[in-house]
Amino acid sequence: MAAPMELSCWGGDWGLPSLHPESLTVMAYAKFSGAPLTVTTINKSWRALKADLPVLVAEDIVISQPAKILNFLRKQKYNADYDLSAKQGADTLAYIALLEEKLLPALLHTFWIEAENYCNVTKPWFASRIAFPLNLYLPGKMSREALNRILLTKGGPPLYSLTEVEAQIYRDAKECLNLLSKRLGTSQFFFGDTPTTLDAFVFGFLAPIYKVCFPRVHLQEHLKQLPNLCRFCDDILTCYFRGAVSGHSPAGQDTADANLQKLTQLVNKESNLIEKMDDNLRKSPHHPPRKLTTLKLAAGGEESSPMSRLSP
Amino acid sequence: ATLCFQAFLQMCNLPIRVICRANAEYMSPSGKVPFIHVGNQVVSELGPIVQFVKAKGHSLSDGLDEVQKAEMKAYMELVNNMLLTAELYLQWCDDVTVEEITHPRYGSPYPWPLNRILSYQKQWEVRRKMKAIGWAEKTLEQVLEDVDQCCHALSQRLGTQPYFFNKQPTELDALVFGHLFTILTTQLITDELSEKVKNYSNLTAFCRRIEQQYFEGHERDSSTIAARSSKRSLLR
Repeated sequence: MAAPMELSCWGGDWGLPSLHPESLTVMAYAKFSGAPLTVTTINKSWRALKADLPVLVAEDIVISQPAKILNFLRKQKYNADYDLSAKQGADTLAYIALLEEKLLPALLHTFWIEAENYCNVTKPWFASRIAFPLNLYLPGKMSREALNRILLTKGGPPLYSLTEVEAQIYRDAKECLNLLSKRLGTSQFFFGDTPTTLDAFVFGFLAPIYKVCFPRVHLQEHLKQLPNLCRFCDDILTCYFRGAVSGHSPAGQDTADANLQKLTQLVNKESNLIEKMDDNLRKSPHHPPRKLTTLKLAAGGEESSPMSRLSP
Repeated sequence: ATLCFQAFLQMCNLPIRVICRANAEYMSPSGKVPFIHVGNQVVSELGPIVQFVKAKGHSLSDGLDEVQKAEMKAYMELVNNMLLTAELYLQWCDDVTVEEITHPRYGSPYPWPLNRILSYQKQWEVRRKMKAIGWAEKTLEQVLEDVDQCCHALSQRLGTQPYFFNKQPTELDALVFGHLFTILTTQLITDELSEKVKNYSNLTAFCRRIEQQYFEGHERDSSTIAARSSKRSLLR
């Protein structure tokens, strides 16, 4: 039905498929909705010059912002929000606005403006993925854009110095994390048992804070005090991004073991469910007649043989 | 925005007096209008004012549980993000509106050439901000579509309830009322923005209900509210 779609985005590390929050959001949504995307990560190519990643290319259409990409995927019938009520759809928009207003500035600051983080981690990582001589210019440009955005949206009076702005945005981010934790509570995803657009956005914003090893980490420490959000990120990583995980960090082995345990628990749960379903079917009174009819059909034609194989 | 505060303070049953001043932006501690002046304290912006009022013992959102408070904050951010930015865009980035309405209104208290200089300065500031958050490339249709989406979300959340969190009004109701009333009553070149809001009958009914309930006691004020709402967009 759909031509193959190609997504170009920033690559990943520290156990994440991507370090860039917007790329991560799009990848997560694609996994949730089952869209067949081929993901190409930027590696020494000049594609990064456009600097508008992530970019989706489908046939001849080029789409660049996450919201527009998600809209396009929904129009192609890859909709992760199918089961949501209208009110839940409205809630999704509201929480995404909350994330962008309160959490994004702190995320940008941690990555691009905090001097130790930027010089020791962000700049070398991005520079290694961009072709020379662009890698001398592009990380600096991204950093300046991030600073600009923060100052223009948050930096008006009465906050007159950068330190005051920083204090305010980290306060906002911590409050936002607390609110998200309260909203998630003990459920697996934000709207029940299936992941939706909101889960993709929250995962995209939280996972970089959670996983990337920065020298200055007060936001990460705050996040680690909210175990349900950490569990949420880990669950999505193990269930949906198993193949793309690069066990790079030394703590990766521990998390891999913990994930393996969780996975075996999930598998056990599923096999229990299947056994229960089997029992129910066997106990149901309609079962024997159905078996006879399928056997009869199997004797008659070939196309019913898959049916007989399926019947337990 | 003035209307949001008035509504909020009326809902808390606190008496207020509204004064229009041309140098209001400079009197305010954060450069943003409106602000309140209580005794010898001056507080501006909705967030700090809510905290201030709460510290004095009045709060509208005490009856909400944690999850509802989180929802309320999220919806307030949605309104700020979408409606406020759209209003700013329409006032300062749409060339027709800027030329014919915004420039004259914004500069009206000042003599020439100060009025032109100040309004160009403000326009440049707003356009810079739009560029930083990615709204500069949006066309008018896209902005209107975003407003429509936002109103749709608000309408869905309100449903058939009298207020957003059922029986009691909260800060969210005050904020939404302020913005929607502005959109519905301010005169612009085209009526497209107010048409978008009028498509949602429960939102218009909501505005009318709050206006009647909290502003009808001051009948003189309701006519001045209409005049002030057109003046307010120049003060912003």
